[in-house]
Amino acid sequence: MDPQLLVLLFAATLGGVIIGALPGLNATTGAALLLPFTITMEPIPAIAILTTIYCSATFAGAITAILINTPGTSASATTCLDGYPLAMRGEAGRALGMATVSSTIGGIISVVCLMLAAPLLARMAYNFAPPEYFALTVFGISMLATIGDGTPLKNIIAGALGVLLATVGKDLLTTVERFTFRFNELSEGIGFVPVMIGIFGISELLVQAERVQGERKLIEMKAIKLPSREDYRRVWKTILRSSGIGTFIGILPAEGATVASMIGYNEARRWSKTPEEFGKGAIEGIAGSEAANNSATGGAMVPTLALGIPGSPTAAVILAGLMIHGLQPGPTMFTDQAEFAYAIFWAMLLVNITFIFVGLFGAKIFARVTFVPVQILWPIVFTFSIVGAYALDQSMLDVYIALASGVIGYFMRRFGYSVVPLAIGLILGGMLEKRLGQSLIMLDDQWWLMFARPLSLLFFVLTFLALFGPFFWRLFTQRDPMKSTGE
Amino acid sequence: MTRFAVPCGTIVFCLVAYWLSTQFDRVPPILLRGMQPEDFPQMVLLLIMALSVLVMIFDKPIEHDPMAFNVWTSLGLFGVFVLLSQVDLFLGLGVFAGALAYTWGERRLWGIGLVSVLSPALIFLLFDQVFRIRFPRGLLTNLWYG
Repeated sequence: MDPQLLVLLFAATLGGVIIGALPGLNATTGAALLLPFTITMEPIPAIAILTTIYCSATFAGAITAILINTPGTSASATTCLDGYPLAMRGEAGRALGMATVSSTIGGIISVVCLMLAAPLLARMAYNFAPPEYFALTVFGISMLATIGDGTPLKNIIAGALGVLLATVGKDLLTTVERFTFRFNELSEGIGFVPVMIGIFGISELLVQAERVQGERKLIEMKAIKLPSREDYRRVWKTILRSSGIGTFIGILPAEGATVASMIGYNEARRWSKTPEEFGKGAIEGIAGSEAANNSATGGAMVPTLALGIPGSPTAAVILAGLMIHGLQPGPTMFTDQAEFAYAIFWAMLLVNITFIFVGLFGAKIFARVTFVPVQILWPIVFTFSIVGAYALDQSMLDVYIALASGVIGYFMRRFGYSVVPLAIGLILGGMLEKRLGQSLIMLDDQWWLMFARPLSLLFFVLTFLALFGPFFWRLFTQRDPMKSTGE
Repeated sequence: MTRFAVPCGTIVFCLVAYWLSTQFDRVPPILLRGMQPEDFPQMVLLLIMALSVLVMIFDKPIEHDPMAFNVWTSLGLFGVFVLLSQVDLFLGLGVFAGALAYTWGERRLWGIGLVSVLSPALIFLLFDQVFRIRFPRGLLTNLWYG
């Protein structure tokens, strides 16, 4: 590996940790803000930097969760439950040590799974025809129902709005202009970068405006202390279990580290011999949550690289980065552009190993980053956002699109519509329409024949289950008299 | 209130977009393969409208706190930024950043100077010198570009 690239990746790891520790910034926002910086780079370092930011910012959320009871990212929310009580007892070093080791092991396991599963999945998808791809993309979009902060209905609306935005510009099949309002810049469609910067970066500025007065208190961390052998003996099964859960959840389209950490934490408590300790400083709680959220990063890259369907919100930004650099994620990535896929694998593996040093020796320093006043931080983030939005096409229209996306994103979040489905809908929208059009041509406009193809039928059934499964499950469990009475 | 207002607003937006989509050029049937250009956006718009109706019926009403004063001032400053960016992008950024820091409670002169002068200048130099990005000419950028 190129030594220059190694230095760049180390710098990106430190940058990602700072982003993950800063209030309001997370892996998705960080990747979206850094996307314009990578445009002028060669594709391999650019994509390696984005994946490094993804992994390191996800890990860094644990530092602030443990030391100041504020999860740096939503994926670390469950780490607060046991990390902060441990820190209050003067065992912050032990908690951080466990978070670091669990994150590293979870991350490495998931990258190994990624290395094995992504090429296999890609090989399976190699023979997909447009109807199968269309059904798969519909399934990917249906998974949006369960992500983010909104209700399933609102999430699907937000995703559909993203798909609608993707129709702006020239129609791929007929070259007819749509919703361009005679702006030449819009004929190529609405750019991913300004919209992502707007909905993740600028909308967060408005959210932070509501919380300007918040105070944070740093816990004293007396010494860097590794978890004891007894701690490892207690948690090794939890780490392995959560790594498996996290990788699996990450592989599911659109599901990310937040869901993985919640399930990982709950399973750790369910299997624990001392569940009563959870919430009061259980070391297994930290291991369960952190192994799961970091392993979800590798899992999320499986559908992103093999199928071109983002496995998480940050993977959606990375997917946008791949497309900007002219790369086409999907089955051909492992045959025609294999060097990019392997650059991503190695970058992720390397960053997971780097965590050990950053987490154990730098946590105390990085925790201080959280004390940068928001009234200094966010004006600088805004300047970066606007210049970044301008930089891609050097168009002021993109600046206004970013600004408008930020305002719309803020109001969506205020009224319970998550912005994550909007971003994923925007990325998948073009693909969805193109594959529907190709399917109709292939099937001679007899769209119902899509249901006669076994694989596309399977994806439609999975879509149905993803959308209505929870509803039927609730109906089913309510009929169970034991459950309905709460016994 | 927002239980109905937001879905109704969404439906109105979709109706306008649907009407706009009827104005797209059409491909003559003899040349058409697949869908007309308006078919896909119209399907998506109909889906959004149908789901918005379901939101009105099934969504639980939530009481929202009034928007914080800082949000209003930040939104107002967005407007100021848009106006000033017509004169110069970096003038707009500097004024916006300084004013935002001030309205969010920053009173230290070095703090306001850092966000309104130093950081836009450094970001300009970074993009201009390292990434070779050419910014639109304006009152301040002309000083650099000559």
